[in-house]
Amino acid sequence: MSEDVEMKDQATPSHSLSSVPPSALQHLKEIASIIETGSYSKEVRRIARALRLTFALRRKLTAPVLSSFLDYVLPPASEPHTRLSSFLPNPKEGDREMEVDSSTSTIQTPAAKHLLPELEIYCYLLVLLFLIDQKRYDTAKACSSASIVRLKSLNRRTVNVIASRLYFYYSYSYELTGNLAEIRGNLLALHRIATLRHDELGQETLLNLLLHNYLHYNLYDQAEKLRSKAPRFEAHSNQQFCRYLFYLGKIRTIQLEYTDAKDLLLQAARKAPSAAQGFQIQCNKWAVIVRLLLGEIPERIIFMHRGMEKSLRPYFELTNAVRIGDLELFRNATEKFGTTFSRDRTHNLIVRLRHNVIRTGLRNISISYSRISLADVAKKLRLNSASPVADSESIVAKAIRDGAIDASLDHANGWMVSKGTGDIYSTNEPQLALNSRIAFCLNMYNEAVRALRFPPNKDKEKENAEKRRERHQQEQELAKHIAEEDDDDF
Amino acid sequence: MDPKLKEVSQLFDRFKASFLRNDFDNCSNLLSQLKVLLTGFRSLPPLFADTPNAVHELTIARDIYEHAVVLSVKIEDQDAFERDFFQLKPYYTDACNRLPPSPQEYPILGLNLLRLLVQNRIAEFHTELELLSSAALENPCIKHAVELEQSFMEGAYNRVLSARQTVPHDTYVYFMDLLAKTVRDEIAGCSEKAYDYLSIKDAKQMLLFSSDQELLEYIKEEHPEWEIKNDSVFFQKAKESAPCKEIPSLQLINQTLSYARELERIV
Repeated sequence: MSEDVEMKDQATPSHSLSSVPPSALQHLKEIASIIETGSYSKEVRRIARALRLTFALRRKLTAPVLSSFLDYVLPPASEPHTRLSSFLPNPKEGDREMEVDSSTSTIQTPAAKHLLPELEIYCYLLVLLFLIDQKRYDTAKACSSASIVRLKSLNRRTVNVIASRLYFYYSYSYELTGNLAEIRGNLLALHRIATLRHDELGQETLLNLLLHNYLHYNLYDQAEKLRSKAPRFEAHSNQQFCRYLFYLGKIRTIQLEYTDAKDLLLQAARKAPSAAQGFQIQCNKWAVIVRLLLGEIPERIIFMHRGMEKSLRPYFELTNAVRIGDLELFRNATEKFGTTFSRDRTHNLIVRLRHNVIRTGLRNISISYSRISLADVAKKLRLNSASPVADSESIVAKAIRDGAIDASLDHANGWMVSKGTGDIYSTNEPQLALNSRIAFCLNMYNEAVRALRFPPNKDKEKENAEKRRERHQQEQELAKHIAEEDDDDF
Repeated sequence: MDPKLKEVSQLFDRFKASFLRNDFDNCSNLLSQLKVLLTGFRSLPPLFADTPNAVHELTIARDIYEHAVVLSVKIEDQDAFERDFFQLKPYYTDACNRLPPSPQEYPILGLNLLRLLVQNRIAEFHTELELLSSAALENPCIKHAVELEQSFMEGAYNRVLSARQTVPHDTYVYFMDLLAKTVRDEIAGCSEKAYDYLSIKDAKQMLLFSSDQELLEYIKEEHPEWEIKNDSVFFQKAKESAPCKEIPSLQLINQTLSYARELERIV
């Protein structure tokens, strides 16, 4: 059957078939030729393009198509062919025949099928994508493990691009089967190999996979230790950089470094591709909580983005409770959406928010009343404790000490006396706000400049060489003139 | 029974007997010997070798480290507590599917949270908290530590102090006493900012002293800037001695120069 395919491929397509849209198999063959060209010319860019084209085809992958493609790319009865075919479900002969018949092509079959490592690894990736899409997770796990074993023995720049995708799906297949912890040692070994081989894209991907692995089990301490000791380098993939920012933002949040966390999470949400809505929702959930923990109230527009309203609804209600400073409302929101918060793994952060709700409530009271009894403060804050007045007194005292409110306490009368609201423009606040905004704009500008790509400067180099020759000539003439003038002086 | 295992069991029995007699010096010596003997078991972390007596070895090792943690509290050695707790932790996390759960697990995890709170290692407190399941968070020992942290952060100090009476385990008392000292310093810090003055009676009650003399001693040692007159403690002096806010000139100069530099680079 594979011979038929090859003959058909070699035949010039007739006019009657030229209007037929190219099949998935046809596309795969074109991609294979791109990979082949990229491999021979050692152009990583071509391999990356081939991968982009593959992901566009992903929905069209079927067992017969893949089986035919394996026959086309891999030498029959070779070890990779046998192994990869074993992962595929046996296609019905009829289906395969039809698929093959429709796949007319101008691409020549590799005459001598000496196997390119790039194509072999690419086949692993295709089969793995197919298995994951078909929800055959256990088979996908076996396939991904086999691909990683094969990858370890390869050290080619052009393989690295495909390898980085394989690492991701390797981790993903284990996550889908609930065995993510099993591969941690393997991922660490792969990261070490990638580092030694200066495979920066691999390092970037594997570092993120390791961080994800640790954070999946809430091992924030280990994640931070790994992150802080991992080698630094310029980001290669925007997606991986976004993930890294998100993971780092989560770590910083747990470690109570809210200011850093906010910047990281907002940056991750901003840099994320518009198609990655799930990722943006996750970033926004964490960013909202971090901003609340910082004592800020996120703008309403954040919760109104198209496609995000439903997911961010619990966080909107939570924000509302914090904004008003009503403990009862806050309690209701946490109970109502408790399961959502537990699923999002933000429950422990929301427990921390209680403190901020009290602070906001106190701030509102302080602005509204020039003098108020501590019993009324307790009532307004809805502190349901054994001794609400004593509690409210110490809570107010701490808020005064921390600078959250400008007031004083009269213990004898049991009052809180608010001081007049000062002029904020007489403080450093405006300068700090201006500086943070300017810093943000400058940072964005610098990042944009760094992200620019410039054409290769071969022409410039030629000009420079010519100019250099001219300059040398002029300098020599000038030196001669000076020497002659010196002689004249004598 | 394996002779090594038998030796460890016998030595551990002697350790427990000394522990019940409160002979802590002997306990420490025996514990050192036990730890050395435990290194001979390949079934323990990090190897987790599948030996014939693996379950028995893991169980006795976990039991030894649990006693070591409690011993470190009894002898009031926080460094030893940290070391022993970290040696014990893998038995709760990595060996949980090989062993039946320990009744001491939650009391010890709660005790560690309390230690982190006392040492003001709040970031680590929250990192440890993330490792606990929702079921664990409902356990009284864990809940106690979580509520303490919450009350402490809010400033509800009387709730922190009253929690000493409701400790879920007697080993918690040591850390609760240390926390009481921290709370006193916090109350003092808040009081001098929030009140203009307090009567000695109120100050004594607030700062948890039983006599006026104790209060005066504390003020003399810790807060000599507080003024005592007419049976009251005046904080005004402390407020006045607070430095005036200066204009951050150096910071402003730096910022302005950096703007100029960036503008130069852009334009």
